[in-house]
Amino acid sequence: MKSLPTAEATPFSEQFGAGWNAFWFLPASGRPLAVIRMLTGILGLVLWSSYAADLQRWFGPGGMISADVIATWRNAYGVSLFDAATTAASLWALYGLGFAAFAALLVGLATPFAAVAAAVLWVSMLHRGPMLISPADDVLAILLWCLVIGRSGDHLSVDAWLRASRGSDPAGPSVRNRLALSLLGVHASVITLAAVLSQLKGDIWWDGTAAWWLLSGREQSPGSLMAAMAASDYLTNLLSHAVTLFEIVFATGVWVAGLRGGLVAAGLVAWPLIGWLSGDLAWGCGMATLGLAWLPASWFRSGAATTQRA
Amino acid sequence: MNVAGGIRLLGSLRLRTFSEVSLRQKPHWETIGLLAVCQRSLPEQPHHLHSERVVSAQPPEKTALSRPVESLPSETFRGVVSILLSLYLLGLALTVAGNSGSGASLLVSTVKSRLFSPWMVPLWLDLGFDYRLTYGQLDDADHLLVVEPWDMAEGGKRLRFPAAGSSGIAAHRWRTLAAWLEPETVPEDVAGLLPTAVAESLFEELGSEDLRVRCLRVPMPERSAFAAAEPAESTFERAAVARVRRVGGSVQLLPVEEQRDVAPVVSPAADEGATP
Repeated sequence: MKSLPTAEATPFSEQFGAGWNAFWFLPASGRPLAVIRMLTGILGLVLWSSYAADLQRWFGPGGMISADVIATWRNAYGVSLFDAATTAASLWALYGLGFAAFAALLVGLATPFAAVAAAVLWVSMLHRGPMLISPADDVLAILLWCLVIGRSGDHLSVDAWLRASRGSDPAGPSVRNRLALSLLGVHASVITLAAVLSQLKGDIWWDGTAAWWLLSGREQSPGSLMAAMAASDYLTNLLSHAVTLFEIVFATGVWVAGLRGGLVAAGLVAWPLIGWLSGDLAWGCGMATLGLAWLPASWFRSGAATTQRA
Repeated sequence: MNVAGGIRLLGSLRLRTFSEVSLRQKPHWETIGLLAVCQRSLPEQPHHLHSERVVSAQPPEKTALSRPVESLPSETFRGVVSILLSLYLLGLALTVAGNSGSGASLLVSTVKSRLFSPWMVPLWLDLGFDYRLTYGQLDDADHLLVVEPWDMAEGGKRLRFPAAGSSGIAAHRWRTLAAWLEPETVPEDVAGLLPTAVAESLFEELGSEDLRVRCLRVPMPERSAFAAAEPAESTFERAAVARVRRVGGSVQLLPVEEQRDVAPVVSPAADEGATP
């Protein structure tokens, strides 16, 4: 039996290898990651501060989610730094540390440490109260781990300013940035695909009434939009199908170079709108931030040039 | 100027395909990196790149192209990272498949839980991203938690989480917590855990050691029954109720007789006509 000619297989393997290298290892500018870092910092501060008012009631001594409850509830592999915070003072101290980490991430101060601290503390918070989380919290965890990998403090940061004031060379492109951006991009696509597959298992996403049900069970719902939907079948159908269609096009279209820029730009509006409609605006903002990883680098370069000219 | 700076750097990357690049086009790092990637897979070509015009360039400046470059990493590094990436991507696929609301196969759940969960769970990466948004079912509605002394006739304080009229992410977290009090949403072995813990934390605040813990659900009207006003709390449906009391230091969760909200199956007329 003759073996297959290897000459025909070689071009594909090399093509795949070159594509793999280009996607994961091509040094990339840190500017897109810096923008993502700042948006993640804002999102992180918002989500972190949502624990402040009820921190003691939930996790404090004698709180609702006691150590015994969490030991039974949580996955066996789950661990949390907050397990060690058994007094009100230590709980507040750890919480304050997290707040400082997110603030440092936002301004880009000691960014590598801030990114690690924010990621570890955020994941610890999620493991401390898994019955309190929403999809936005998951997305923030993904964003933070990717920022740990990349060098997001090279631009638009206090670190970069300090570096420039010392007369050091500006940071150049980095493989770590490429890895982080590619991971973020893959997650943006995978999360969207998983979400839309999940939605399409429900009949209401096919019969076009999903948009109504998104709002109808809410304690505080936008009355005017509901009134408009109650008056028009077509509007309800349009909104429902628009959500599904956008998610399908986004999940697949970002892999096509020519569609990327437009889709990410559309996502900056569409994702927050979908989040608002579903009652989780933070999730929508998180998804829009994830999607920025797909934005062509030239967009950031032109933006930076405009800033420099100004 | 930028072109020349880029070319000098490219020289250190053993670039052989320079002639394919237009000098009129402003080079950027992605182009340089891509060329560096591609050159490894191209056959040997005569080295004809270093023309005088290109090499005799201007003094270095701190422009984008004269910054310190981080070239492609070594093959060893790329190999190791590629293996790690492949492992992670496999784990990502398995977590999506294994955390679906539709359930998971034994194979997927076994492989995931044995090989991937031990390191993906602690990092909060064992996620299914099963964000259905809504299926139009009762458990998609907003929930809230009401705790009060069991015998409210004797008076007492009543706590509602989230507080009436509150919105935002903190209120969203309370609603998520309240939804977990529905017995159908949690496994049997932890079904009574949350109501007990909630009541236990509120005994002192409410001044009673016998509490009623209620989980209420906002009604989901059909489009035809839409009313512009926000639903009053009195119209909220009861999703779950529990009685928790502390006797002699031990906390007890007592079963509460479920009140049926549905009409009787047998009508009075049918009863009258029935023969004993």
